[in-house]
Amino acid sequence: MKLHIVNCAPDAGRVVQQALSAMTTDDRLLLIEDGVQGALPSLVDGFSGIEGRLYVLREDLEARGLMSRHDDRVTVVDVDGFVTLTEQAEQTLSWY
Amino acid sequence: MRYAILLMGAPYSDQASHSALRFARALLARGHRLETVFFYHDGVYNAARLAAPPQDEPHLVDGWAALNAEHGVTLQVCIAAALRRGLMDEREASRHGKSGYSVEAPFELTGLGQLIDLGLQCDRLVTFGP
Amino acid sequence: MRDGETPAGDLLVILRHGSHGTSWLREGLDAALVGAAFGREVALLFMGEGVLGLLEGQGQGALGQKGTGPTLEMLEMYDIEALYVEEQAMARYGLEQRDFLLAARHLDDTAIAELVERHALVLTF
Repeated sequence: MKLHIVNCAPDAGRVVQQALSAMTTDDRLLLIEDGVQGALPSLVDGFSGIEGRLYVLREDLEARGLMSRHDDRVTVVDVDGFVTLTEQAEQTLSWY
Repeated sequence: MRYAILLMGAPYSDQASHSALRFARALLARGHRLETVFFYHDGVYNAARLAAPPQDEPHLVDGWAALNAEHGVTLQVCIAAALRRGLMDEREASRHGKSGYSVEAPFELTGLGQLIDLGLQCDRLVTFGP
Repeated sequence: MRDGETPAGDLLVILRHGSHGTSWLREGLDAALVGAAFGREVALLFMGEGVLGLLEGQGQGALGQKGTGPTLEMLEMYDIEALYVEEQAMARYGLEQRDFLLAARHLDDTAIAELVERHALVLTF
């Protein structure tokens, strides 16, 4: 299992699509920085193929005023959770 | 576990440096070892010794240096990416006939081969891009 | 060329930018060349806009900025022969194999995920 890390907004080009196309069926995806916008209920459908394997970084949601606006289907992790995700994955890939 | 970080975002332009520094501290706090932070692409600007951010902003250069002082993390800057962008230590500056220099210890200029070795030898390599 | 079977390797470099606009393509190729020079098994995947990086006929910039054509021609010398290109991106940019400087295997999404899986280290540029 690999952890894919996306830091770009869904509207900023094709980065999200690239990450999704490189994922196997057990890989996980973590949204950080502007990537956290993807956790909004109106945008989260873009990740419908990986339900249950989508994570978002709490600090970046909070800093952007998006903490109470994210979709419940996305798992919120803090930076410790980010480290844990990298421990559990054999490898990480960053898409920026 | 043994970690390495690859940082390719410019300080204060992109969030990448802040994300990477935050992640570095968190993994060390969890008892992991961080071998190296490798600076490539615009990430090399993190090594600019003359960086003078306002006092109420995080000082990234000091932040990296503290990782080195407190945890022995090596700070490796890709020499080819750095020289192009005007970042060089005293030795390179004199080799290029420049007065003054822009990179100093604990940052070290090194080849890209180090990055590949790190990626293959450490348990985890985590990249922060712009 | 289509082939699901891709050999395992040490390093996969994913190139997602064309030449000239940014230094990503050049700096990504540099990483690949250095990996190969250090004796690693290196593969390249041209993905998204990166497929334009394979185009024949690329030249220098107006100020004499180096293009990536000469670097691509060096790949074989460095024994980097595992070249892959995202099929979907080729269609998106209306490109075919004959437009490319080098022969690359065309991969769909499943094959891309498999390729990533087979490499110990994957760097995205």
